[in-house]
Amino acid sequence: MSTAGAIRVEGVTQRFRVIQERPDTLRELFSKFFRHESSYHDFEAVKNVSFEVPHGQMLGLIGRNGSGKSTLLKIIAGVYRPTAGRVEVRGSVAPLIELGAGFHHELTGRENILLNGLLMGYSKREMLAREQRIIEFAEIGDFIDAPVKQYSSGMYMRLAFSVATEVDPSILLIDEILAVGDAPFQQKCFERIQKFKRADKTIVFVSHALNQVEEYCDRVILIDQGTILADGPARDVVEMYRSATGLEVVGAH
Amino acid sequence: MFDLVRDIYQYRELIWALALKELKIRYKRSVLGFLWALLNPAFMMLVLTLVFSTIMRFAIPHYAIFLLSVLLPWTFFSQSLSYAVEAIVTNGDLIKKVAVPKVVFPMAALVSNLINLLLSLIPLALLVPLLRHPFYWTWLYLPVPLLALAIFTLGMAFFFAAANVYYRDVAHILQVVLSAWFYLTPIIYPLDFIPAKHQWIFKLNPIIYVINGFRLSVYYGMLPKAPSILASFVCAFASLFVGYLVFRRYQDSFVFYV
Repeated sequence: MSTAGAIRVEGVTQRFRVIQERPDTLRELFSKFFRHESSYHDFEAVKNVSFEVPHGQMLGLIGRNGSGKSTLLKIIAGVYRPTAGRVEVRGSVAPLIELGAGFHHELTGRENILLNGLLMGYSKREMLAREQRIIEFAEIGDFIDAPVKQYSSGMYMRLAFSVATEVDPSILLIDEILAVGDAPFQQKCFERIQKFKRADKTIVFVSHALNQVEEYCDRVILIDQGTILADGPARDVVEMYRSATGLEVVGAH
Repeated sequence: MFDLVRDIYQYRELIWALALKELKIRYKRSVLGFLWALLNPAFMMLVLTLVFSTIMRFAIPHYAIFLLSVLLPWTFFSQSLSYAVEAIVTNGDLIKKVAVPKVVFPMAALVSNLINLLLSLIPLALLVPLLRHPFYWTWLYLPVPLLALAIFTLGMAFFFAAANVYYRDVAHILQVVLSAWFYLTPIIYPLDFIPAKHQWIFKLNPIIYVINGFRLSVYYGMLPKAPSILASFVCAFASLFVGYLVFRRYQDSFVFYV
């Protein structure tokens, strides 16, 4: 493993203001203000977390629902600016956080490929050069020129995955997205992830599918209530999580 | 301010694509499609011309052109703001999932309306000879007030887009402000209608200078005087400065409120 860290997370805390009844209108604001009510509490989704992902490593993030995994991934992706701490990312990032987030239903698949690529920060020229390969990988045939609102959820996800991964990022962030799609396509997705691994790309993978995490990740971090509980080789950490949660894991999978 | 220029340059393709998406969706599923961008203002002009040449006659010759020369830029201004005020909120899902600079959304609202404005100048240019109004060489001056207006509008767009994230009342307040502002600006009447001793009040209106540039060059065939041009750009950059400052100050927390 090379020494240069691709991702460095340093003392990161993410505080959310959980608002029970947000004053959405000025009237509510004034009435709240004059009655000196506070209708929120602060909630720390991620608490003082530090770790480093070396270049070329595939890191798995596991933990229960609401443990802070996805928040952490969004901080790395730059969606949230952390309340405290620093995140350093070296390289181009493809966030597969929510596939098809930038898709617009009225636009065709082809138009969405371009728009999605631009949203991820690629240039029009790069996207046009990759368009054919994206379409081939997605295998959705003539639907590529139909508005995506006519797509099945599987087709939608195929196109989105193919856009996000055909762009040759050096860092890939994957959040629980491989659960969709039929078995052959899932197989293709994992083959592509394997290819990324062989090409020495850095991957952060959030999943509840412990078998997949164990099989593909080099290292796993277990998160609970916003802090790191364990950090080590995939097999050990997954084993620890399994034994700690007992039967619950079967249900969560 | 330097950040803004850099972001706009870096994301110019995205801004353009978002603006085109806006227009595509507006005219989607209509038989004439994009042609409506031309037909809409053309029909509006036709109606206005008929009304003001037959039913309501003013002492102002070629009133339709007098009116349209500033109504079209005003429409751009008010439409851009109406779009931009919702720009962050309607793209909330995207902002929560993709790290994308937020400035692109109000920018795209502005660009799509700018395209509409430029297209609507075509039927205006056809209407001028049709009404036997002289076609002045001062039309060539139009890029100058267009630039000032775009900068002025962008600043306001940033401000309202940011404010609406926190208080959704802003979108409604904006509509009230815009309609009051419309009548307080010499659009349907000339500034001369105002008694001379009250004119100074109207001259506090920051949009009046840029509006004046459009009317002078299209209707009167004159160029504005240097102080008026200067005033239009001072107002434009003051708007951009304040609007962008507010937007930048709050943009990192939009994600928590959309």
